[in-house]
Amino acid sequence: MIEELASTFPILTCILFLPVIGAVVLWLFDDEDMVRTSALAIALLELALCVFVLLRFVPESAAMQFSEHVPWIPALGISYHLAVDGISVLFVGLTAFLTVLIVIYSWDTVRHQVKLYMMALLALETTVMGVFISIDLILFFVFWELMLIPSYFLIKLWGGGAERHYAALKFVLYTLLGSVFMLVGIVLLDINYHQWATLRHIEPTYSFDLLDLLSVPIPFGQQVLIFWLLFLGFAFKAPVFPFHTWLPDALFEGPIGMAVVLGGLKLGTFGFIRFSIPLLPDASKSQTVVSIIMALGLAAVLYGAILALVQQDLRRLLAFSSISHLGFVVIGLFALNFQGLQGSLLTMINLGFSTAGLFFIAGFLYSRQQSTQLGSLGGMAKQTPLIACFFLFLGLAGIGLPGTGSFVGEFLILLGAFKANWIYGAIAVTGVILSAAYFLWYYERSMLGPLGKAVKDSIRDLHPREILIASALSLMILWIGLYPSPFLKMMNGSVQALVDRLERGTVASLEPKQPVRVD
Amino acid sequence: MTFALTITSSDLLLLLPEILLTSWLCLILIIDFSFPQLPNEQLAYFSIAGLVATLGCLVWFDAAGITGTLFANMFALDRMALFFKMFIVGSTILVILASIDYIHRFRFFRGEYYFLVVMSALGMMFMASANDLLSVFVTLEFSTLGFYVLVAYLREDIASNEAGIKFFILGIFAAALLAYGISLVYGETGKLVFSDMTTVQASPGLVIGFLLIFAALGFKIGAVPFHSWIPDTYHGSPTPVTAFLSIAPKGAAFAILLRMFFVALATFKPVWTLLLVAVSILSMTYGNIVAIAQKNMKRLLAYSGIAQIGNVLIGLATGTKMGSDAMLFYLLTYLFANLGAFAIVIAVSEAIGSEEIDDYSGLGRRSPFLAFSMLIFLLSLAGVPPLAGFIGKLYIFIAAIKEGLYVLITVGLINIVISMYYYLIVVKKMYVNEPRDRSPLKVSGPIKVVVYVCLAGTLAIGVYPQPVTDWVVSAIMIFSNVADPTASLPIPPAILPFGG
Repeated sequence: MIEELASTFPILTCILFLPVIGAVVLWLFDDEDMVRTSALAIALLELALCVFVLLRFVPESAAMQFSEHVPWIPALGISYHLAVDGISVLFVGLTAFLTVLIVIYSWDTVRHQVKLYMMALLALETTVMGVFISIDLILFFVFWELMLIPSYFLIKLWGGGAERHYAALKFVLYTLLGSVFMLVGIVLLDINYHQWATLRHIEPTYSFDLLDLLSVPIPFGQQVLIFWLLFLGFAFKAPVFPFHTWLPDALFEGPIGMAVVLGGLKLGTFGFIRFSIPLLPDASKSQTVVSIIMALGLAAVLYGAILALVQQDLRRLLAFSSISHLGFVVIGLFALNFQGLQGSLLTMINLGFSTAGLFFIAGFLYSRQQSTQLGSLGGMAKQTPLIACFFLFLGLAGIGLPGTGSFVGEFLILLGAFKANWIYGAIAVTGVILSAAYFLWYYERSMLGPLGKAVKDSIRDLHPREILIASALSLMILWIGLYPSPFLKMMNGSVQALVDRLERGTVASLEPKQPVRVD
Repeated sequence: MTFALTITSSDLLLLLPEILLTSWLCLILIIDFSFPQLPNEQLAYFSIAGLVATLGCLVWFDAAGITGTLFANMFALDRMALFFKMFIVGSTILVILASIDYIHRFRFFRGEYYFLVVMSALGMMFMASANDLLSVFVTLEFSTLGFYVLVAYLREDIASNEAGIKFFILGIFAAALLAYGISLVYGETGKLVFSDMTTVQASPGLVIGFLLIFAALGFKIGAVPFHSWIPDTYHGSPTPVTAFLSIAPKGAAFAILLRMFFVALATFKPVWTLLLVAVSILSMTYGNIVAIAQKNMKRLLAYSGIAQIGNVLIGLATGTKMGSDAMLFYLLTYLFANLGAFAIVIAVSEAIGSEEIDDYSGLGRRSPFLAFSMLIFLLSLAGVPPLAGFIGKLYIFIAAIKEGLYVLITVGLINIVISMYYYLIVVKKMYVNEPRDRSPLKVSGPIKVVVYVCLAGTLAIGVYPQPVTDWVVSAIMIFSNVADPTASLPIPPAILPFGG
C-alpha cells in the first residue's frame, strides 16, 4: 500500500512547486523572524523531499525515474514531463542543499525587505529545479527563462555593489540573447521530429519531449546548425569563454546568495550534457565542433586562471576561477569518453560545494570588513582562525587537493582529456598548476603574515550559524573525496548510455531520409 | 452588373449580433438625451450590457456552428469572423470599463462618448465579416469615423486636437489609397469578392491595386512604413481611446488581411511573403529601437505596439494555416497584455496626473497591485514564460521556422532582447527607484476589474493555453483547403502511401 502510494506520488511536482508555493505563503507574514523561520522550514522540507528522491533513486540505471508525464499544449506537442536520471538527480539534491545554506546565511546578513528577498530566493529555487528535472524542452526553456526574473531582482535590490543595476541588466540581456537562439534550436528539433513523424505516421506529430526527439534521426548538417544554436544558449549561461563578461559583474555586484547560485550551480554545462550531446551526437563528435569547443575550453582554463592571479578582490577572483573551472568541465564533456563525462559531472557537483563555500567565506569576510578587497584584509589567521581554516580547506578543495571531491573529478577529466588527445590534457594540467598559484597567493596575502592595517580590532570569528554552513559544505566535500562511489554509481548508468549513444549516432541515420512514394 | 437582393428571415439571423448592437446604439442615444441627469456610469453599464448580450449571441453562434454568407458573398459569417467579432466586442467591453474613471475629463458630450465607442465597435464587427472590396471600404470607413471624433475628444487639450487632425488627414489619405486600389483591381479583373479572385492573372494594374489596398490596411494596423500617425495620435488621444485604438482595429484589419492574402491572393504566396517579411522586419526593428528612447508611457506602448504588430505579421508572412492560427492566438495574448498595461496607465494618471515613465518611480511601494500587474503585462509583451505572450511568440516562431523564414526569425529574436531592455527600464523605475511621494495610490473598482480580467487572461492562457489553441485552430479551418493543406495541418488529411 505504502509502496504503491510512493510509486504514484508526484514527488517531482512537489519538489518543483513547493518553494514557489512557499514563497506565496511567506507573503502572508509580516513579522520578519516568522518569515525567516518559515523560509527555512520550506527549504528544509524541500531538502527532505530531495533526499527522499536520492535515497529511492535506483543507481546504475540509465532509465528516467520518478517520471511524470501530462500533455500541456498538445497542439504544439508540448508536455509537462518531469523526470530525473543519473545526470540530473545529484543536481536536484545540490540545489536544495545550497538553498538551505543560503537561507541560513541570509538570516542576519539581509536586513531590508527580508520577505521579498526570501520570496525571490524560493522562486529562484523552483526555476532552477525546473531546469534540472524538465524533460520536455519547452518546459525546460520556460524555467530557464523564468530564472532571469528572480535573479534580476535579487541582484538589483540586494546587491552590494554600486554598479548592481548595470550588472543585473547585463546579466538578463546577455542570457536572454543566448536563450533566444537556443529557442530556435529547440524549435528546429521539433520541426525535424515533425517531418519524420508525419512521414512515418507516428503520434504525436509534434513533440518537444527529449525522449521523442531522441528517437528520430537528424541529418548531419541540421545537427551542426542546431548544435551551435543550443551552444549559444548554454554558453552564455554557463558562461563559456568568450561569453563570460557578465559573470564577474553579476557575482561582484550581486548578493552572496545569488553568487552561490550562479557560481555553484553549473546550469549551462548541465545543458550540454543533458541536451546537446545526447540529441546531437554526430555533431558533437565531429572534428570541427570538438576542436573549436576544446579550444574555447582550454582558453577559458588559462584565461580564467591568469586573470584570477591578478585580482585584488576575492569575489572577482572566484568569478574568474569559476570561468577557469567551467573550461575544465567543458574539456571533460567534449573528450566524449566515459571518464571525461563522468569526471565533468562529478566536478560540476563538487564545484557546487566548493565554489559555494568560497562565496560564503567571501560573504563572512564582507560582513565583517564591508569589503573583500585585498587592501582591507591581511593576517586574518591570527584574529579569525576558523575563517582561515575553512577558507584554506574550501580553497584547496576548489583546486583539487587529493582527499577532496574535486580531486576525483579533475583527475577523471584529465584522464579523459589525455585519452582524447594528449595536447588537451597537457594544456589542461597547466590550469591546475595556475589554480594552485592564484589561490595560495591570495590566501597568503589575505590570511597570513602581519595583521592588515584595515582589519578592525573588534573583528570576531565565525559564529555558530556560520560554522554550520562551512562545516556542512566541508563534510560533503570530504565525503565525495574519500568515498565517491555512491555518487559515481548514481550517474554511471546514464553516462554509459550517453557514451553508447555517442558511438551509435542518431539511431536511424542510415535509413533513407525520404521514403519512396508509390503513386 | 445586376445586383438582386433577396433576404430571408434565416439570412437575417446571421446579422443578429449586428442588428442587436445597432438597436442598442439607438437606445444609448435616446437614453442619453432623454435623461440628461443620468449619471454617466449608468450609461456605461448600459452600453456594457448591450455588448455583453452581443457577445453572448456570438458565443451562441460559435457553439451552434451558425455560419453563412449574405448579400452575394459580400458579408461572410464564418468561425474566423466570429472569433474577430468576439475579440472586438470583448476589448470594447474592457475599454468602456476602463473609461468610467476617465470620463470626467471630458467637459461635454459624455454620453455621446459611449455611443461613439460602441459605434466604432459595430463598424469593426462588420469589418470582420467583409468579404469583398466594397464592403471592405465601407466598413473600414464606418469604423474609422467614430475614431476621428474620439481621438480629439479632449477638446481643450492641444495634443488631443493635434492627434485628431493628424489621424483625420492621414486617415482620409489612406481611404483615398484604398478607393484607388479597389478601382484598379476592379478595372483589371471585374471582380470584387475575394473568393472569386482566386484565378486572376497577375498584371501591373492588379499589383499596384493590391499594393494600395495593403497600404491602406497597413495604415490601420500601424505597420512600418505606414505607422507615422501612431505615436502622436496615441500620445494625444484620451487614454481609453488609445487603448481601444491599439487593439480592436488591429484585429478587424487583420481579419481583412487574412481574407485578402489567404483567399484572394493565395496563388501569389511566394510574392507577398517577401512583402510581408520586409514589412514585419521593419516594424519590429523600428518599433523596438525607437521605444528605447521614450520618456512617456503611452508613447512607449505605442512603439512597442508597432513592434508587436510586426510579430503578428510574421504569422501572416508564413502563409500557412499554422501561421494564421498563431496570429489569432498572438492577437488574443496581445489584447490582454496591452489592454492591461493601458488600464494601469489610466489608473496611474488618474492618481498622480502624469503619464511620464519617470513618475512611475517607486510604484512598487505606492501600489504593489498596480506595479505587479504592470510587471506581468510587460513581461508578457516581452514574451517571458510562462505568460501568454511567450506561448504566442513560440507559436508564431514555430510556424515561421517551419516555412524556413530564418532571416525573419533571427530579426524577431534579436528584437525580443531589445524589447526586454526597455520593458526592464520601466520595471526598474517601478521597483528600484525611490518615489517622490510615498502616499499609496487609490485604484477605482472598474479599473481593478479590467486589470484582474487582463491578469487572469495573461496568466491563464500562459499556463493552460490548450482551450485557446483549440479555438483558434478551429476558427481558421476555413482556410485549410486554400493555404497549403498538407504541410500545415496538425494531422495531414491525405495519407501518403509509401514503401520500399
